[in-house]
Amino acid sequence: MNALPMAPGSLLWLLQHDLLLAWRRFRAMFGGLRPRTAVAILGAVFVALHGLAWPVARWFADVQPGGSQQALMYPALAAAMMFILPWLISQSLTGAVRALYSRGDLDLLLASPLPARRILAARALSIAVEALASAIILIVPLINMIVWFCGLRWLLVYPVLAATALFAAAAGIALALALFRLAGPRRTRVLGQILATIIAAGFVLTLQVLNVVPAHVRDSIVAMIDQPGANILLDRTSALWLPVRALAGEMPSLLIWIAAGPLLFAAMVWLLANFFVNSAVHSAAVAPASARHSARKTGAVRFRAGHARAMRIKEWRLLARDPYLLSQIMLLIVYTLPVSIVIWRNQGPGGSLAISVAPAIVVIASQVAASLAWLTISGEDAPEFLATAPITRREMEWRKLQAIALPLLALMALPVAGLAWVDPSSAALAFVFAIGASACTAFLNFWHPMPGKRVMMLRRHSQSKLIAMMEHALALLWAVAVAMTALGSWLAVIPLACAALILWFNRPKGAELIPRQAVAA
Amino acid sequence: MPAFVPEFDCPSLRLRGLTKNFESKRAVDCVDLEVMPGEFYALLGPNGAGKTTTLRMVAGLLRPDAGSIAVCGVDALRDPLSARRLTAWLPDEPMLYDKLDPLEYLEFVAGLWGVDPRRAEKSCEELLHVLGLWDHRHERCEGFSRGMKQKVALAGALIHEPRLLMLDEPLTGLDAAIARQVKELLMARARAGATIILTTHILEVAERLASRIGIIRSGKLIIEGTLDELRAHAHALPHSSASASGAAAHSLEDVFLSLTAADDAAAEPVKNIAA
Repeated sequence: MNALPMAPGSLLWLLQHDLLLAWRRFRAMFGGLRPRTAVAILGAVFVALHGLAWPVARWFADVQPGGSQQALMYPALAAAMMFILPWLISQSLTGAVRALYSRGDLDLLLASPLPARRILAARALSIAVEALASAIILIVPLINMIVWFCGLRWLLVYPVLAATALFAAAAGIALALALFRLAGPRRTRVLGQILATIIAAGFVLTLQVLNVVPAHVRDSIVAMIDQPGANILLDRTSALWLPVRALAGEMPSLLIWIAAGPLLFAAMVWLLANFFVNSAVHSAAVAPASARHSARKTGAVRFRAGHARAMRIKEWRLLARDPYLLSQIMLLIVYTLPVSIVIWRNQGPGGSLAISVAPAIVVIASQVAASLAWLTISGEDAPEFLATAPITRREMEWRKLQAIALPLLALMALPVAGLAWVDPSSAALAFVFAIGASACTAFLNFWHPMPGKRVMMLRRHSQSKLIAMMEHALALLWAVAVAMTALGSWLAVIPLACAALILWFNRPKGAELIPRQAVAA
Repeated sequence: MPAFVPEFDCPSLRLRGLTKNFESKRAVDCVDLEVMPGEFYALLGPNGAGKTTTLRMVAGLLRPDAGSIAVCGVDALRDPLSARRLTAWLPDEPMLYDKLDPLEYLEFVAGLWGVDPRRAEKSCEELLHVLGLWDHRHERCEGFSRGMKQKVALAGALIHEPRLLMLDEPLTGLDAAIARQVKELLMARARAGATIILTTHILEVAERLASRIGIIRSGKLIIEGTLDELRAHAHALPHSSASASGAAAHSLEDVFLSLTAADDAAAEPVKNIAA
């Protein structure tokens, strides 16, 4: 990024500073890749997405006014808005929480002789830009193809999108501040991240629900959207549908939305500037704040014997105190269970539970195992301290593996038991394959530690995209294998062989299993 | 595991020709050192002299390129587990778990070192009381100040009663009251027969506490001895700033400055005045 000539201290100058930092964060996700390689990959993905958008744009040509399926235009645009808006709000919320908590940087800026309002405006703008940038690679190809097939009038979507980003930034920052007020500075970070993930998951969840409801209900929803006045929620002339109408290019609504986004954003900057500044200063001052007490309060000190036990207990305590772990498990269940219900439904009443529920159990178990393994190995707070303890590295890792087995089994117990009630043989299958899949993803994380802080758990996949891809591939292969085995197909050997191959390629090449920082100077 | 019984007449730490290179730079250069049980030894030196690197090798965190390390007669390179059982390492940045409280942390450390639980409970209570952590024993370490964290880490280093306790800059970031507590605790341990080695920039600390002082520069141990011996040596130096000032009793600072200010080329390996 070349520095443009700008007056130091101006809004644009501040924005450029923030965006430079955002760009570096983004670059860091590609690890060691050279900038040119990263841009080439992104470019290739961008072009490929245009290809993927092709059939969607063709379909949209039938849906737009004058097409053969006009009635579907508003539902389609509403679905698009339901994807974009929560995503942008969730990204803005994450950005706002980071802006509130990024120490040094904000302290430095606020200590400078610049008006706080300008600093906040620049920060808020960069939050909006960053949130939009995270979605742009998916959205822009689609809009381009729709413009190509359906006419230049759809270019108006771009300003609507910009207004939506500003609206979402205002909402995200307001949410972050509300959280700060309600939960206090310490919990805002955790709650903010969980809330952001849930908001982003909302879209997937809604689609899942729509998939589950019977076809005639879906048809009546479409009919209600087409006939204004039938239902307040589904009335496309109501204020709630303003952004959807703007997306459709309806004239008064479009202008109102394009004006409303920036206005709301400016109002938010204006009204909340002082509060924002106060709470940011507050968070820096309070961060190592009020003490958190453990559960036991009795006076006597009681220790239990043995280093094996001491190590397992320590890992369990740390896992139990990890708020991100719980939120990730919840999310996995939210994402995965509706899918299995859909599969079950589509099979009809005679369908085997093994084919629908067992893969879900396998996927959840393998992903949770990966997270637990990452938390115990890469998230180790004091690797150096452990290296000075009179215990071999091999034993240490063995204890950590033991420590993650128990919570994993506890998590699997209920669904497997439920399945066993209905269908014992598929329960046995699910159990065996879940153990296999969990061992694979756990070993992958053991062999490729990615040292990081525990609080980074939900974002650990941004550390190494490659490991993340392999983790998902392993989970998927085992899920396919369990479904095929349930169907009695010998072809289940193929995905299992692929999983074994992935694991073999990732086998540890050296003895270096402890995060390398432990032995660095 | 058979308990190791150390010999009392052998040095708690014996380094022979200890050498470590980082790429082309020689960080530790053929260091010979012997510290006896009950000794309070201070390793002094300017920034980047190789003090911490030397101790990290003893703690088993770095592998030396050459030389030997013996902890109470145990070859730390050949039998690292037995050596670690006798050793505690306390870096300047405390190695703690944010989500554990001091009690849980000490239980974990005692478990790692295989301390008998009954005994660990007793010394845990004592340490928490002495260090003023008793009222905070159920609070998670994440909320602690730097000084509190260092005290928890120190309690962790002391709970397994190491024969060799190595501390890197133990008093930085501690306020005067806490620093005094820590000093007294360390002196008591030395009187009880443990060996304490600390690195420090604070010359006053070395001057007050240490029974013997070694000065490291550019990876070489250039001189060691008691404070009086070092004074006498510095006084004898021809270009000593201390002698130029004509003061009768030199502080360690004068000694330190005149010794470390000497030419790099003129630096001799080890000069043990006591010998």
